[in-house]
Amino acid sequence: MATIEFRGINKKFGDETIIPEMNLKIDDGEFVALLGPSGCGKSTTLFMLAGIYLPTDGELLFDGARVNEVEARDRNVGIVFQSYALYPHMTVAKNIAFPLRFKKTPEAEINRRVKEAAELVRVGELLERRPEQLSGGQQQRVALARALVKDPALLLLDEPLSNLDATLRLAMRTEIKALQERLKVTTVLVTHDQIEATTMADRIVCMHAGKIEQIGTPDDLYKRPATRFVAEFVGSPPINTFQGAAADGVVELGGARLAISGGANGPVYVGLRPEHLFFADGGIPAKIVQHEPMGREILYVCDTPLGMVRILEAAATASQSIGSETHFGFDSAHSLVFESASENLIGNARVSAIESGS
Amino acid sequence: MPGNGTPAEGNNAQKHWNLLASKSRRNRRVKDASLFAFLIAASIPIIIPYFWLLTLAFSAGREGVDTRVLWPSIFILVPAVVLTWVWATIADTRRRAMTGWGVIWAVAIAVYAIFLGPELHLYNFRFLLNPDFNAAYTDIVAAKDNPGFSVTSFPSVWTAFWNSLFIAGVSTVIVIFAASLAGYYISRFQYRFRETSLAAMLVLHAFPTTVLLIPIFLVIWKIGLLDTLFGIVLVIVGIELPFAVFIMKGFFDAVPWEIEMSALTDGATRRQAFYKVVLPQVTNGMIAVSVFVFIRGWEEFIFVLTLLATNAKWTMSLYTFFVTEETNLGIDYGVVSAVAVFYIMPSFLLYTIAQKYLLQMSVGGIKG
Ligand SMILES: Nc1ncnc2c1ncn2[C@@H]1O[C@H](COP(=O)(O)OP(=O)(O)OP(=O)(O)O)[C@@H](O)[C@H]1O
Ligand SMILES: [Mg+2]
Repeated sequence: MATIEFRGINKKFGDETIIPEMNLKIDDGEFVALLGPSGCGKSTTLFMLAGIYLPTDGELLFDGARVNEVEARDRNVGIVFQSYALYPHMTVAKNIAFPLRFKKTPEAEINRRVKEAAELVRVGELLERRPEQLSGGQQQRVALARALVKDPALLLLDEPLSNLDATLRLAMRTEIKALQERLKVTTVLVTHDQIEATTMADRIVCMHAGKIEQIGTPDDLYKRPATRFVAEFVGSPPINTFQGAAADGVVELGGARLAISGGANGPVYVGLRPEHLFFADGGIPAKIVQHEPMGREILYVCDTPLGMVRILEAAATASQSIGSETHFGFDSAHSLVFESASENLIGNARVSAIESGS
Repeated sequence: MPGNGTPAEGNNAQKHWNLLASKSRRNRRVKDASLFAFLIAASIPIIIPYFWLLTLAFSAGREGVDTRVLWPSIFILVPAVVLTWVWATIADTRRRAMTGWGVIWAVAIAVYAIFLGPELHLYNFRFLLNPDFNAAYTDIVAAKDNPGFSVTSFPSVWTAFWNSLFIAGVSTVIVIFAASLAGYYISRFQYRFRETSLAAMLVLHAFPTTVLLIPIFLVIWKIGLLDTLFGIVLVIVGIELPFAVFIMKGFFDAVPWEIEMSALTDGATRRQAFYKVVLPQVTNGMIAVSVFVFIRGWEEFIFVLTLLATNAKWTMSLYTFFVTEETNLGIDYGVVSAVAVFYIMPSFLLYTIAQKYLLQMSVGGIKG
């Protein structure tokens, strides 16, 4: 078990800076998700933790000790790759036993631990198969067993669920989470899927172009996104953002005027989540152009003076059809305002409908 | 509608399906048979000479070359082969096909044995046992034409065989060892002039090596390896290495980085990761390259002719060559054919056994 710390970590490939400066602390036994779009440097971060890539600058600390130069094999890190990276020429049992071969573990103990690890992820019956004879889900479990068999101080998961079908992904999500809670191993999960991150992790590190945008609990990221990027990346269906200019407590968004509080002034972005919008008799006019049933809810896309707006409504009370003209209102308490230049959240700014008469 | 009609209708539908199924089976067989027929037709210009060689080796005497056995053999074998195909298209179960083929070939072999059996003998292969297989005869001929002339004395064919085996085997081992390491390095590491060096390697392979005959002779002479087997090994290694490296690089390219990274985090050193995880993924490539280099060494002629002098160093190619040369003096073609068959056999066996791996070479070797 270990605590991890990135202190001013910088990573370049040649002249290209992938990670300008990263500062991050991960507690012992914590489950952290690195969340971000493709190419933002998540795998690079993970490979630095594993000892495969050397940080260009900065310090990487395990339990307070600098490990920058420590070889991958001496770090006691278990890793599950996106492609699982099982050794094609070895049986499942040999795959799982591989990490123990380098530690002078007695044969009897190797067998015992391989069995144990295989049972843990429920591949006990597949030990004599070869990787190509396994389904994607089974390969994933074997990769997990191989990562866990050496009792790693740190478990790294690089998009472990992205090759699985939807049902299996749901099952593995729960399973990995339960396993991590039981083993209490410090875990870093890399994913571009916000649902995966929010359901599994204790804390989420949201990354964008090599920079950390926000570190927080899933709830923090959803309710108080630090930047416009986080607001747009977290939440499904995605948030509506509108660009406008605020002055004297009023913000102009497209053809609509809204009241704005919290001292916001100058150009801003206003964010309203689809689930915080609702149809009403009065308010901002909207014309339904599209509707997407999503099971429990229906997502409407509406043409409004603010531009195209996504509105979520419970399927049970669905009232709109394509082409109908109506109005919508929003929940002011959940509105988000970001400064335009820095894209940072203005903490206590809210928008609300202008009271008639003012 | 099949399935929900009266029993009679159901029966009809079943018959209908059976009809379609047998039609598709027949189509497939006809297609296969015509494909094979085409391939055979295209390879006849090559097969007939080889076949002739084979019949000569087992039948010719001192009288010289003839087609006495060739044509009757073809006369028996071709109908047998044709019948085999025809039967393949007619037979509707695997079992019946097998029985039919059994009958056809039993008859063919019996006919062959009756008509040509007496013609066949192993006398031409006497060179395998007796190095001086023709001494008596050639000496007479030579003495008659130009008195005082002494014929080349032949080493045992086994000397030549082991020499060839040594050259081919040692070259293969060296090439495969160097090409694996170099191919891995080129595939995995970025260095200056990587693209250029790759291109240069291919160009090297494109030049005809005969243009190097004299320079190589001089180099080998200077370093004192003239008339040694190891000198030949060096030359073959030098010529074959660039292409082998290139092919191996292609195979290494196909091995995902991630299994190597995985091995490193699992506790392996870079070297262990290479031997335990990466190398096993490219064994097919290594086998393919080995076969090619081995056969190249086995066939090598022009350099052994130039660089080897004493007849204790003869290789199979030289042996075959000189056996042929001797025909001027009246040696019989039967022995020449038999030597040729003996010389070809290892290559043939190797190709047949390793066929599966050779076919994969194009798969591994395409990317640049
Ligand atoms: N070995 C390398 N050499 C040069 N550039 C690299 C290397 N590895 C990654 N990069 C670059 O670094 C950036 C981040 O890559 P990384 O693999 O960390 O992204 P990621 O966040 O894991 O993306 P994904 O979700 O697609 O896996 C990319 O722009 C990539 O092109
Ligand atoms: Mg990645």
